[in-house]
Amino acid sequence: MFRLALKNILFYKGRSITTFALTFISAMLFIVYVSMMDGSHKSMLENTLKIYTGAIEIYHKDYRDIGGNEYLIKDVTSITNKLTQIQGVKAYTARYETYGLLSTKESSAASMIAGIEPEQERVISSLATALREGEFLSNESQNCLYGGAGLIEKLKLQLGDEVAFVGAASDNSFAADIFKVCGIFKTGSFEFDLSSSFVSRNYFDKLMMAQNKASYITIKVDDLENVDAINEQIVAVLNDVELESLTWKTLMKTMVEAMEVDSIFGYISLSLFLVVIFFVIMIYGFINVSTRIKEFGVLRCIGFSNAHIFSLLFYEIFILSSLALLLAAPIAGYICYYYSVHPIVIEGIADMYKDYGIVSDEIPFNFDILTLSWNLALIYLLNFLSILYPYFYINSFKPIEATKHV
Amino acid sequence: MIQLQNVHKYFFKDEPREVHALNDINLTIEDGEFTLFSGPSGCGKTTLLNAIGALDSIESGKIFFNDKEISSLSEEERTTIRLNEMGFVFQAYNLVPVLSVEENIGFIMKLRGFSDTQIRERVLEVASMLEIENKLSSLPHALSGGQQQRVAVARAVAAKPKVILADEPTANLDSKNSKALMDMMRDLNEKEGVSILFASHDEYILKSVRRVVKLSDGALL
Repeated sequence: MFRLALKNILFYKGRSITTFALTFISAMLFIVYVSMMDGSHKSMLENTLKIYTGAIEIYHKDYRDIGGNEYLIKDVTSITNKLTQIQGVKAYTARYETYGLLSTKESSAASMIAGIEPEQERVISSLATALREGEFLSNESQNCLYGGAGLIEKLKLQLGDEVAFVGAASDNSFAADIFKVCGIFKTGSFEFDLSSSFVSRNYFDKLMMAQNKASYITIKVDDLENVDAINEQIVAVLNDVELESLTWKTLMKTMVEAMEVDSIFGYISLSLFLVVIFFVIMIYGFINVSTRIKEFGVLRCIGFSNAHIFSLLFYEIFILSSLALLLAAPIAGYICYYYSVHPIVIEGIADMYKDYGIVSDEIPFNFDILTLSWNLALIYLLNFLSILYPYFYINSFKPIEATKHV
Repeated sequence: MIQLQNVHKYFFKDEPREVHALNDINLTIEDGEFTLFSGPSGCGKTTLLNAIGALDSIESGKIFFNDKEISSLSEEERTTIRLNEMGFVFQAYNLVPVLSVEENIGFIMKLRGFSDTQIRERVLEVASMLEIENKLSSLPHALSGGQQQRVAVARAVAAKPKVILADEPTANLDSKNSKALMDMMRDLNEKEGVSILFASHDEYILKSVRRVVKLSDGALL
């Protein structure tokens, strides 16, 4: 049967070439599109996580829901010591976040002020690379403020200007100081740049009475794909009901949902494309079968069963699909791999992104063998489904009627 | 043995243009017969051949093939009977265009699961008998009408069916090829012992067969 199918493919060249080409093109487009969609989501996520939010963050259980100094992490060192034991944890840092009032002679603004560990932040976040003016903080920085461009502009400040800070310390006592604007950053995130400022922890902890305390500990992992497994390890190692360890999927729920919605729309448009391809292949198969009704009728008269007909159609589409996918897989795979290493840069958008510094102007593809495999499997499946209607059409004729079909 | 009991077949039943294609046919065909269904166009000879060959259904009556009633079988069961017990020769040859002569002749044997060696031996034997052994590697379109019909006969006989049903096998052949084909089929009938049933109004076939079953308006005369 396989041999007969092969001979049919070679004999009916037009139909074979069309089916081959359609399968090849649809597989190529499908694989490349999915790779680009997954790659952009991955890149979007990595860029966002790079700005400030970590892949995993450890909180006191009620800090995120209730907030306040009562729910600060009280023993940072013991937790960070445990984190060193966990495989997959690339870096971590503790942050002490508070909200206070920043004032100049002319204006005031509420701001999130965080005490950060500048050297660790260089590894974990993009705060350092978001620098636009002045300099980033160091562990030895004293009353230096590293402020978001929007906030600095709102306060009408310039580099070197002084600004007064008033807030509540970790023991709920009154805290006040004069900071000097040492650096201005711009991440591209409007809200973040308008409301955030940073001070070196060594200095800020003394001011806020927050030694060995933190709002949370943020963690960077080796591989985002393994974030759930790493988080499970962290929970197990911490073994503390008062603490909760959350991944970016919870921390950035809105973004995750947005990406899911984007994926759904992406797959809807893809499925429309695949449906068109499916019907085109099926129609070609149907037209081909229609011209062979007499031949199938003769075959059925001399003893060809329904199973034989199905096998013949199956082998024909199997051979054509296999050849098309064998060719499409390495080419599409190479394209995905190449653009995962050398991401596409979109002119114009690149210029806009350069101004922000953090958000990448590149669209990397995602090269993943598993994704490639299911993409190929889906095209295979669609091609196999496309033989069903032609098969039932053949069987709608009695054998003897079919031999007289013109 | 083939037996038909009170077989009726209609076309366009219950329509104004209804045709009573087979009208109360009662017939017995013994093993090894060389028989012609004869009559004018539209008398029902092809319909009768198709009914015996399990290619078409009947309205009423019974058809027995070696004591097995085949008229009430499902399409799949009929296909199995056709594959294992019968051989067919059509007016238009109806060879598989993509297969060589050798593959066409061995096609039914292949479907029936014979080994490649068995198929090869039998194909050579039949091809030699029908004098087409030098055309085995050719494709059907490269053969003359007479050669194609010989291939069709070879295909029908190769798997050693119990009966061969030939519908107007000489209709597309000239008199020389018709005579050659009939001589070969008679040889096959004698040497292989296979029953051969023709539906034809060819005078030469009429002279060649041992039994003639005449039909008129769907009924036996």
